[in-house]
Amino acid sequence: MGQTSFGVFLTCKENLFFNHATLMADKKRAIADRRNFLQSSVLGAAGVGLAVSSSSSVAVAETNEGTNKPVVANEVDVLVVGGGTAGTIAAIQAGRAGARTLLVERNFQLGGATTTGGVAFPGLFDAWGEQVIAGIGWELVKESVELDGGRFPNFAKVPRSHWMNQVHVNQFVYALLAEEKCREADVEIAYYEFPEAVVKTDAGWQVDCIGFGTRRRVKCKQIIDCTGGAEVVGMLGFERLREKERQPGSYLYQLGSSHNPASKQLHRLYVHGADSTNSRTATLANLTGRKSILAKVRKDKKRLMHLQPETGFRESYRIKGETLITVQDYTTGKLFDDAVSNAFYPVDLHTKTGVRPKPLKRGIVPSIPLRALIPKGSRNLIVAGRCVSSDRLANSGLRVQASCMGMGQAAAVAATLAVQGNTTPLEVPLAEVHALLKKHGAIIPVKA
Amino acid sequence: MAGSGVWAFAQPFSIQVIGLHALTGFIFIAVIGLHVANNFVPLKKYLKNRMVWLVSAITIALGALFYFQPSPIKAVLGLSGNLGPALDRFEMTDDGMKYDYAPSPSYKLSLDIRTGSTYSLENPPRLAVWLENQSFYHIKTLYSSETTDAKEMLPYWAFKVKGWEQAKAEAEKKGVDLNETVDAVSGATRNGSFDPADYILPGETNSSMPYRVMIEINQTDDSSKKLKDQPSLVYQVEVDNFDPLAFQLLELVGYPVKEMTEENEEEWAIYYVDERFGSAMSLINSALLTIDRSP
Repeated sequence: MGQTSFGVFLTCKENLFFNHATLMADKKRAIADRRNFLQSSVLGAAGVGLAVSSSSSVAVAETNEGTNKPVVANEVDVLVVGGGTAGTIAAIQAGRAGARTLLVERNFQLGGATTTGGVAFPGLFDAWGEQVIAGIGWELVKESVELDGGRFPNFAKVPRSHWMNQVHVNQFVYALLAEEKCREADVEIAYYEFPEAVVKTDAGWQVDCIGFGTRRRVKCKQIIDCTGGAEVVGMLGFERLREKERQPGSYLYQLGSSHNPASKQLHRLYVHGADSTNSRTATLANLTGRKSILAKVRKDKKRLMHLQPETGFRESYRIKGETLITVQDYTTGKLFDDAVSNAFYPVDLHTKTGVRPKPLKRGIVPSIPLRALIPKGSRNLIVAGRCVSSDRLANSGLRVQASCMGMGQAAAVAATLAVQGNTTPLEVPLAEVHALLKKHGAIIPVKA
Repeated sequence: MAGSGVWAFAQPFSIQVIGLHALTGFIFIAVIGLHVANNFVPLKKYLKNRMVWLVSAITIALGALFYFQPSPIKAVLGLSGNLGPALDRFEMTDDGMKYDYAPSPSYKLSLDIRTGSTYSLENPPRLAVWLENQSFYHIKTLYSSETTDAKEMLPYWAFKVKGWEQAKAEAEKKGVDLNETVDAVSGATRNGSFDPADYILPGETNSSMPYRVMIEINQTDDSSKKLKDQPSLVYQVEVDNFDPLAFQLLELVGYPVKEMTEENEEEWAIYYVDERFGSAMSLINSALLTIDRSP
């Protein structure tokens, strides 16, 4: 292994990391930076000749003498960025379907909104008396409830209100099971890391991730962006949609009485302007939320029994996909010709004054087309989760956990089949996508 | 007084006419008092006349009849244009049933229920129509079949009525203001007022509190291929009190099933209708709710 070359590579790379971090605000310079990085990366990779296991995604860690920082390299079929609601399911699905899979998560556990955000009542898996979303997401939820001795809503019963059919899970059990299922599917998990730069290669992508004390270079054929705000899509310069004002986030906590995470909702504090776009805005949201909760503890003179690690974010960027789900499509239950998953939730736009969910009309079950998961004009890139290509009102219903889980599974199936067929997700025959989804327990949208 | 009384009977409810009628009533009582005071001795002699007692007995009997309102009296009163501040009228039509409810001249609610192909005129199904608030409390029964088995045949409506009465009694006993009670799970849904007028009087136009119009219908001994006796069916529509739609169709919700809660209390829940149901689905062709609200 050429240590000298490797050192050169690291120097170039480190310079680039520094440059990129400091120039993020300037898009033009950032693009130039990516070009430089591409050149450096190609040189570095050629010189280093990193040893990658031929049978798995396991990387070889090296130590640079100059900086004493570890370097990790991975060569995988599918890189899932974001281990939240959609990403966890996507990674498990990709792994189970035989793809060498790496899951990169900026936080410290899997589950996202369900675990770190504390929204431990995912829904909605049912509509009008029938289950409409199943697959790996449901499997994980079901096992979490069973292991915790919890209860399931009766889907045959008409709920008085939509939230009554959300499934209460123990957020801690859910996070543990998610990790176990990833391990069983041979998915490698990289916590505390996030992509710093992404470049296109002949074989797919080269993604540089950075975490504390870790720099990782990933070569992959497909990327599934499950970051919530389509951060990878943004890095690549594809168009994204964003509102001037975002829906408030929710910081969940419990005052005064012990928290039963399996059966009781936490108290909710709206964090207006909460924005998960970057570490600065996320930090601001967390500081704001926690400051308000501390004030409430002092005011109410009650003990703080539980506090989630971070704000639950509702809205940031959405992709502009090959198609866009409008609120008309959503509320009329349009069955797209390339539908890969169902969704079900009221139109649920939170504002400064609260929320007034608008239930869907009887019998309506919206569907999610594959094209809404693919950034317009992209190849070998697919998203899943709340950044699905949709208008704001449609997104207010699509963004919920069960729907995101369904999207995660569908995106992973499309990406895995694209790897196997040496093509891009959009060009995978729909019948193959449906067949593999069915094989893994997912429910394919059908005409009502 | 006679004039204002006939006027109040003939035209829709008007607080002005009622006020005038009340005034003439008070004047009439005062005049009677003065008359008795001035003619006490001669009037005392009348008490020996049997005719006076007969007239008094007839008056008391008529008073009782008009107070308790058996069906024939109700029919007579139904001719009035004014049934009080909550004017309601239920009538059978050639196609079905029509229910009108007009809390004020500027707010009229009309429910037009068209009977379906399995509706039997000889043995009509039991029917209840009621209003529920946002927290699913029964707030007012608009109509219910006057048969002895109505509560048994319409268990969901009976459960709602019972629950409402219990909650109301408990609240009165404890002096609790239910308007301040917060739904424990949703964390945001306030219970509605006990007073249905709060929801449907046009004076509350700045209130966005929705309410529901509910129907429960059940045909006796109506078997289907898979059910010995099909349960009752529940229909509903939600009305936005802030900006109500002029026309809305009630939708089939499901059928009621008795369950026991974790606290071992009886509860009736609604379940989605499945393939076991047959003729019960055709008892009602459609139910149209019309709301006419003038500014």
